[in-house]
Amino acid sequence: MRRRREVLVGFLLILPALLVLAVLYIYPLFLSMYMSFTVSNRFSLANYGKVFDIYWRDVVYSVMISLITTFATLVLSVLISGYLRFKNWRFLDLMYKLPLFIPFLIVGHAMRVFLAPHGTLNNLLTRILRIEELPGLSRSWIGLVWAFVWIMTPYATLIVLGAFKSLDSAYIEAAQNLGANKVKIVLDVLLPMCRPSIMVAFILTFVRTISSLTIPIMVGPASPNMITVSMMFRVNYFNDWGTANALGVVSYLIVMVFAIYYLKFMAAERGGIKA
Amino acid sequence: MKRVCAVLLMLAAAVVLAQADIPIKVTLTMMVAGDQNMVDFFQYEIAPQFEKLYPNVKVKVVGTGPGDAGSQQIIQQLQLEKDSGKDKWAIDLVVIHEAGTIWAIERGLIRPYTDFLTARRLVTMKTAEVALGVKVDGYVMPMFHSQTAIAYNPRFVKDPPRSYAELVEWVKKNPKKFGYNGIKGGMSGVSFVFGWVYWKSKNPEILMNGPFDEKYTEDWPQIYAELKEFNKYVVLTAGNAGTLDALNRGEIWMGPVWVDMFYTWIREGRMDPNIRLILPEPGMPGQPMYFAIPTKAANADYALKLIEFVSSPSIHAKYIVDKFNWYPAIGVEYVSPHLGKEVFERLYRDIKETDLLKFGKRMPIADYRTRMLEAYERWVEK
Repeated sequence: MRRRREVLVGFLLILPALLVLAVLYIYPLFLSMYMSFTVSNRFSLANYGKVFDIYWRDVVYSVMISLITTFATLVLSVLISGYLRFKNWRFLDLMYKLPLFIPFLIVGHAMRVFLAPHGTLNNLLTRILRIEELPGLSRSWIGLVWAFVWIMTPYATLIVLGAFKSLDSAYIEAAQNLGANKVKIVLDVLLPMCRPSIMVAFILTFVRTISSLTIPIMVGPASPNMITVSMMFRVNYFNDWGTANALGVVSYLIVMVFAIYYLKFMAAERGGIKA
Repeated sequence: MKRVCAVLLMLAAAVVLAQADIPIKVTLTMMVAGDQNMVDFFQYEIAPQFEKLYPNVKVKVVGTGPGDAGSQQIIQQLQLEKDSGKDKWAIDLVVIHEAGTIWAIERGLIRPYTDFLTARRLVTMKTAEVALGVKVDGYVMPMFHSQTAIAYNPRFVKDPPRSYAELVEWVKKNPKKFGYNGIKGGMSGVSFVFGWVYWKSKNPEILMNGPFDEKYTEDWPQIYAELKEFNKYVVLTAGNAGTLDALNRGEIWMGPVWVDMFYTWIREGRMDPNIRLILPEPGMPGQPMYFAIPTKAANADYALKLIEFVSSPSIHAKYIVDKFNWYPAIGVEYVSPHLGKEVFERLYRDIKETDLLKFGKRMPIADYRTRMLEAYERWVEK
């Protein structure tokens, strides 16, 4: 009897969180799946037909851009975290967090002006190098990745550095005693031991990149586009929620691949999700 | 002294009483699609004037952003009001684009009202009757007309191309110096593409006026293939503002822009005032913004009064034309008596009224519009 009461109280305690989850995540998720399969209130695959006919390139492009961004972000964040794990450099410690506080919209606009053909960066470079003109990076995939990496790195670094710092110093000292230098310690001790956190950083960066809209619109090339831009276009210009939702479902599937991999990985690594 | 005081008191009483003749307080909520300048227009120019006229009214302006996206948000909001089943909707007045208007009429979100509007008689353009090929007569009053045109920098372009055909030649001689924003970055690019299709199509009139028939799209693959070839010589900019930015920085020498945005940037000192406009043959589309009243607006009476107020020739001249550089929604002949000569010359400096009548095209009807945009995605972007 007491056990049942405890279960009930426990359930009531998590109920608000469950409700929020159900109303804000699960219901819209199923609604968007449902809408992706309907055309004028009838079941149809036409929306997916459009996705594969017109937007397959955008899908591939989004995945590629997100992967490149994620890897570049991880490399950078491991570099920064590796450095900060051993040396306490206050300036870097503050500076790497700076982009966290700047909204995507402002970053997008700033990068657009910064990376434009006659923008700040090129004005500086042409004066230093004494060249007539340089091509701009904005409106190209390189500029897009640049902007993404700039905005994503602090978040990933927070996670990775947290993991590095929470690792027992005994491991590092042991490696040092055996003659390992700092690079080797990062690669052979810190990275393998912090793999779960790095996986978290990987997945969060990937998901945040693939779901970002402002930066691709403002900095990215006119074509191909990220999935989000195509979704926006379908809704705004055609009032076509079906295809937009189909694109959404495709992006869920992509993200789900990583989520499933992550859960499996956690299960293998820590003996189950509970751990 | 006493007498003066008494007179003053009576005057004060008269003012107070006169203002209190309609004692019911009203908050007039309006949603406005369009750039920030539209929101500013209502918030800082019209609202104070209107509130002076009707002291019991408070105007609340909500902006939803530029392009069809802004209209889309308004439609969603109205749909929510409708779905709620309430008798009085919270939104009293909306300002939307053509596409948004059609969606709203289809869903029964706005009501016919212009029968009661005096200013409706002053409209000379056909936009008050038809939008994108759909009959909107009765449901809308145009707020202003905006037009796209090609801006060019005379420092680099001495003899600008006067038609699409000349432009094609020009970009080959000056690669990467013409820029537009494609179709996903804003309407000036879309408008340029529509103009291109009108130029090449055998039946531009049917694209603009209907009827819809697939057979008129048969020559499109060729038209878009040529546009794809054209795109090799041009730069794709980041949105309407991106084109203006790039023009101003000298990255591109020519590009399609919205006339009102262009003049506003010049006035605000954000744009090189030497840059000029040209409306190339056979023309580019423009579009109106519409006032519409939601089906169950709680304060439809005051909404109507506000529309009437903005549409009167003197207010139209002072704000729509002079201050915001839009083309008037009512006949120019009614507005011009209230305009200074220099204002008139500023707005019609590069693009004359006759040019507007001759080369100012309409947007294609809804079905062609959808297909034109998809065709661009399918054949040009790939």
